[in-house]
This record gives sequence, C-alpha cells and structure tokens, in this order.
Amino acid sequence: MKRRRKTAGGRDVLATGFAVGALALLAGFVSLPLLSLVVWTVNERAWAAMASPEAVDALLLSAKTTAVTLAVLILVGTPAAYVLARAEFRGKRLINSLVDIPVVLPPSAAGIALLLAFGRLGLLGEHLRVFGIELAFTTAAVVIAELFVAAPFYVRQAVTGFGEVDRELEEAAQVDGADKMTAFFRITVPLAFPALVAGAVTAWARALGEFGATIIFAGSFRGVTQTIPLAIFAAFEKDFDASVALSVLVLGFAFTVILTVRYLSRRATEYEG
Amino acid sequence: MRLERLVVVVFSVFAASVLVGCDGGSGGGGDDGGGSGEGSSKEGGGTTGGASGEITVFAASSLTDAFEDLAGRFEERNPGTTVRPSYAGSSELLAQIQQGAPADVFASASETLMDKAVEEDLVGEPAEFARNRPVVIVPADNPAGIEEFQDLATADGRYVLAEEGVPIADYAAEVLANADAEYGVGFEQAVLDKIASREANVRAAANRIALGEADATFVYQSDVTQDIEDRVRAIEVPEDVNVIAAYPIATVADSQNPELAQAWVDLVLGEDGQRVLEEYGFEPAAG
Repeated sequence: MKRRRKTAGGRDVLATGFAVGALALLAGFVSLPLLSLVVWTVNERAWAAMASPEAVDALLLSAKTTAVTLAVLILVGTPAAYVLARAEFRGKRLINSLVDIPVVLPPSAAGIALLLAFGRLGLLGEHLRVFGIELAFTTAAVVIAELFVAAPFYVRQAVTGFGEVDRELEEAAQVDGADKMTAFFRITVPLAFPALVAGAVTAWARALGEFGATIIFAGSFRGVTQTIPLAIFAAFEKDFDASVALSVLVLGFAFTVILTVRYLSRRATEYEG
Repeated sequence: MRLERLVVVVFSVFAASVLVGCDGGSGGGGDDGGGSGEGSSKEGGGTTGGASGEITVFAASSLTDAFEDLAGRFEERNPGTTVRPSYAGSSELLAQIQQGAPADVFASASETLMDKAVEEDLVGEPAEFARNRPVVIVPADNPAGIEEFQDLATADGRYVLAEEGVPIADYAAEVLANADAEYGVGFEQAVLDKIASREANVRAAANRIALGEADATFVYQSDVTQDIEDRVRAIEVPEDVNVIAAYPIATVADSQNPELAQAWVDLVLGEDGQRVLEEYGFEPAAG
C-alpha cells in the first residue's frame, strides 16, 4: 500500500509540474505581446497619438456601438435564451445550431453575408432602399455586424444559465402567487445572473474586437463606421505609432470594463446570496 | 500561492527579455527559407541566370492582373522558381516592409512611397516601369446619374475612396485640388463630403462599385479589368485636371534571393514585361 501511494505521489508531482509549466507557458505567451505593446508605447512617443482626434473618434464609436449592441442583445437575447432553455418545440434543434453558426463563421464571411442581405442590392436591402433606408456604410451597419458575431456568445451562456435554474423554484414561486413575469425576474434571472454576466462580457468583448464583418459590410469612415479595430488597421499603413497607441488604448478600455463588470457582479451576487 | 509567485517570475523573465530585446537590433528577420538554392551559375545577368528558389513580390493592388500573368511567364522561363505575389495598397506594403516582412521586390503605385523606402535604405535603386491614369468609375446602371466628371460635385450619391495614404487616394486628392482651381472653389469639398467609406486599396474600392454598393470612386484606367468591365462604367477625368501615376520598382535590401529578385525586375522592365503591362491597360514609363 505504502509503495503504491509513493509512486502515485511521484506521478502527482510530475503531473503538477507539467500543469504548472503549461500555465507558465500560457501566461508568458499571452503577456509577451501585451507587454511589447506597452513597452513600445513607453519608448516611442506614441502617447500623444492616443489623444489624437482619430483615436478619440474611434474609441467613442466603439464604446457607443458596443453599448447599443449589448443593450439589444440583452433585450432580445435573454427572452430568446429562456425559450430555448425551457420550451420544447419542433425545430428547436435547428434553431439551436442556427444560433451557434456565427461563432464558427469567419467574420469576413459574415460581412459578405450581411452585405448580400442588407446591402443596396441585398435580399432585404433592395426593399429597404425603396423606403429610403440604406444600411451599408452607416453606424447602424456597425451595430448589425457586431450583433451578428456577438449574439451567440451571450445567448449560449444564457441558455446554459437558465437551464441550471431549478424549475421547481420557479413553480414554487408561482404557487405562492407570483405571476410568470415576477417569477422570471425575481427567481430565474437572479439565479442565472452570473451566467448572464459572463455571457454579456464575452459578447461585448467579441463585439469590441469585431473587424472583418464591419470593414466589409459597414466600410470604414472616421466617426461613422471606423471603430477601434478598423482605426488600428488604417493607422498601420500610415503611422505605426498611432496603431500601437490605439491598440494600447483598446487594451486599457477592455481591461477597465471587464474588471469593473467583474467587481460589480461579484458585489451584486454577494448581496443577492 | 506558490503558483502565483511562479507566474509572476515567468512574467518578469519575459518582461526582462522584451526590454533587453528592445535595445538589441531588432532588424534580423531570422528567415530560414530560400537559402538552399544559392545561384551556382553567376554568368548570366538576365532572366535566365539559373537562379532558383522563391521570391515574394510586393505589388500595388492595381498590378494584380498584370503581375499574375507575368508570374506565370517568369516561372515558365526559370524552371524551379516560384513567384509569390502579395498585393495590397502600396502604403500597406511599405508598412509591412518597414516591419521586416520577407519581401524580395517592391512595386509601388507611388513614387512618394518608393522614395520613403529608399530613404530608409529598405530597397535598392528604383526604376519607373509603368504609368497609369486615374479615372472615375460608376456602376453600370449609374443610379446617381453621373455622366461626366463635373457631375461628381452635384450628383446625389455616395462615394468611396481608398484610405488616405494609399496612392490612388493621394492622386484623387490631387485631381480634386486641381478641379477646385478649374471648376470653382468648393468642388473638392463637395466630393469629399459624399465619401461614405475609405477602402483598404484601389481594388477594394473598385469592387464596391462593381457590387453597386457605392455610386462612384477613383481607380486607375487599368483597374477596369475584364472581371468588372461590364458592371462598371468608366468616366474620364478631364486632361487639364488629371495627374499621371508613375510606378517604380526596386529589389528589397533584405532579400534572401537578390539574384532572382533582380531577374523579376529585369522581366518587368524588359520588352516582354512592358508588352504585358500594356495589354493590361498600363502606359509605358517615361523615356
């Protein structure tokens, strides 16, 4: 017995060593490029470029479009996810896989698809044009592109979150006189809250990074459709310092938002629990 | 806890190496490709010098069709060689070369950008190999009703243009400035106000028109290729406001295969190259 335990211990050490090594490698792999960005900013005079009108316009546009995207996503995605988690209906499987498709579709392909749907000559765009609505090259197109690529990340997490909420709790609340809406907001949403927040953060991050679909469907114009990723791409050709500055800017922005959300949601769940 | 400390240690080691790496010359591209077939025969300077291997040709996107054709001829003429063309806006290509991209030849649609590359010692002596002329294109059904160049300022349409810094955009800016002087102040601004999107390069802009997504853009006359000629209509820029785009070519200083790179330049400058370029709508270089 003793001997066996000993060899198992040896294997444990090996396994732990391997796991720690893997983690160190991962941490180094992720931090090296990020660090290089920051180091370059310190060395060169890229700081000034961060306050340039182009950078400010891009950051504001990114903040604005991702906020709208997230709002729409929560408004539509939450009830949709609840239906997917709770209801049984014909074609559910199909819808389930449909929701996931944008995750595996390269964003550039998504951009082409959006153009063919909502563009001037698109399936829907052609008819919208009759009413004087042209989506391509507008800020609305940026939001559509972001929604398309980010939606699955929120919906998928929300479905899982709702699925883990015990149905009996909802039913118990209803027995106690709560209507369906009240039960949903008082019981289901609070219990699924961590999953909803996690989904929202991932979706938001995906929207913030959106590039391929945006540049193809929405085009690139300062202050209208040129979000931070597009501004980085445009600056890369003209002024490398500016593209570094923009990258650091978006890094800081994303970091701040995600840390704030983490902090707030932890406080909220502590309060709830 | 110990794990956390380890991660911190790893992080700082990486940090240190980055900081050190910053001072040490970061120039070495460390490319291992190519080297195998060092030209053994040095006698011939022409296209068939016996050089083998692979070259990467960075070319302005307006050169796409012509260089694609030339690449086939080059490989046929120099068995065992492979030409890898990479097309983009000349400004993007220059940025990539500045960052150490493994290019062997740089063919630019702008002398200004080539001059920049020369100043930074990124390329050898450049030579002009072709000329081109900016034109305006509109979709074949021309929804904004742009019949001649002057209509650009008054038509109710939405235009696209290549990103600032991309040669065609700079030529277009020159043309518009000339037009301002010729047709009255406000012409340039009126046109610029209708621009809805800045595209990565001239071909991306041309495709917006071919797709009917925008009403007009500036391209080169050579960009009205067979692929799009029945979907767009070209509108000449009046002679008195137009400019001429000169295309310089040079070998890249860091080339892994300078002999083959020079052979490509020779082909482009030579009789066959010039004939092919003409077939694709380019004008010959100045004397």
